[in-house]
Amino acid sequence: MKERESQAAIPAAVLSEWEREFEAAARRPLQTRLRYAFVRTYKPILDDAPYRSFSTTAEYRAWCTENLPDWLGYGPAV
Amino acid sequence: MARQFEYTQAEEIRNAFARHRVRYLFLGKSGAILLGYPDTTQDSDLFLERDPENGNAALQALHDLGFIQLKNGPFDLDLVFAPDGIESFARAWARHVEVEGFPVCHPDDIIASKAASNRAKDREVLPRLRAFRDYWVSHRR
Repeated sequence: MKERESQAAIPAAVLSEWEREFEAAARRPLQTRLRYAFVRTYKPILDDAPYRSFSTTAEYRAWCTENLPDWLGYGPAV
Repeated sequence: MARQFEYTQAEEIRNAFARHRVRYLFLGKSGAILLGYPDTTQDSDLFLERDPENGNAALQALHDLGFIQLKNGPFDLDLVFAPDGIESFARAWARHVEVEGFPVCHPDDIIASKAASNRAKDREVLPRLRAFRDYWVSHRR
């Protein structure tokens, strides 16, 4: 219900533009879609270790909240 | 920093995981992109069935891919065993989608996982991802 309400609030022009983007993507072969999809950018702290492992997803979320800058968007939405 | 993920690496994952019979699904934005969602991401999220046999198979497959004790690999992979918002691997598997041999979570599971994570970056993409889900469902062949 909440999802429907939030989707209904999206302007029709935006939805039409998205649909055109989906149609354009559907015309591209998978190989091309993947070539354009993966873009490597450095993310501070997150990329400063070769690997990390956590016992639970909750533990991972807590680590992100405590250690990463807010602007990276890994913390909880307010 | 690992090198940029490319189509050939996706193929290598698919082939190595198939060779070792790993039960897994592409999840997250990389899964959505495989389904046709136009966007960018940095790495691949793989949802693995949590089971000792499957874990061993995944380790062997990752070794084939050049990962050394999961610590250093040629590209970034996020391995997830219990993603937020998805009840079980079995349920996700029951409705998964195959895209050119890539096993991918159903868009509803990708959305459920992003919604449940409640991260700012996921909240931002949800409206467009939901619009894509509707498009995908109505155009699925």
